[in-house]
Amino acid sequence: MESTQWLLVANAAVWLGIGAYLFLLARSQQTLDRRIRHMEMLGDDK
Amino acid sequence: MRTNRLSPVMPLVGLVAGLALALCQYMIFVYAPVEQTMGIVQKIFYFHMPLAWWSLISFFTVFAASIAFLRTRNWKWDALSGAAAEVGVLFSGLALVTGSIWGRHSWGVWWTWDPRLTTTLVMWFVYAGYLVLRTLDLPRERLGTVSAVVGIVAFLDVPLVFLSARLWRSIHPAVFASRGGGLEPEMKTTVIACIVAFGFLWAALTWLRAAQRRMAARIDVLATETTI
Repeated sequence: MESTQWLLVANAAVWLGIGAYLFLLARSQQTLDRRIRHMEMLGDDK
Repeated sequence: MRTNRLSPVMPLVGLVAGLALALCQYMIFVYAPVEQTMGIVQKIFYFHMPLAWWSLISFFTVFAASIAFLRTRNWKWDALSGAAAEVGVLFSGLALVTGSIWGRHSWGVWWTWDPRLTTTLVMWFVYAGYLVLRTLDLPRERLGTVSAVVGIVAFLDVPLVFLSARLWRSIHPAVFASRGGGLEPEMKTTVIACIVAFGFLWAALTWLRAAQRRMAARIDVLATETTI
């Protein structure tokens, strides 16, 4: 593999890692929003 | 409900981080000159080093927030230490991966048991273990206290990582150990820009994750009160 390819692979690894973490954060936020909506619905029923 | 409110500053920090990282990429691939000895692969340095530095700052944040939690019993410090540990494990993991790729090209091996590399790997495992500990099914107060104590003790390895290349015979260079680090002015500007850019990313991720953890804790408390 050429030097440029090693650089690009390392760069891609960084963005894949950060992208994966951002995806996990988005999923976590969705779960929180769902729980809040659920609690609001329970509150409205009372 | 107050739980779903996030600070309006947070998206701004995220936007600045995105713009700064785009500028950092431009500087790495276009502005910074190619190093004569190692060639273009040396440019891995511009994201390898900021990732490593911000991971150390992350773990210092875990240490400081754990002390603050034990002193005040305020759960915002517990949320911050959990968030900083996650971002620290991500950043140090990426520093290990990029370092390994660079090592494969320059040294011909993916890994060597060098003091700097070994202490960094140990640090990664310690904080990964800390994150596993935080998921244990224990009473909230007890888990908070145990996590804070482990967050303080775990920091013992961090100064070793920083000093390892200076204290022991290491093939890993101690960056900026000599005055100016022997970098060309364009290289120095690029590395500083990338440190700042990754700093904004670190702040945005840590802030967002800490806010999520605080929100989750508040929902748990409200859910318990509702069931009672």
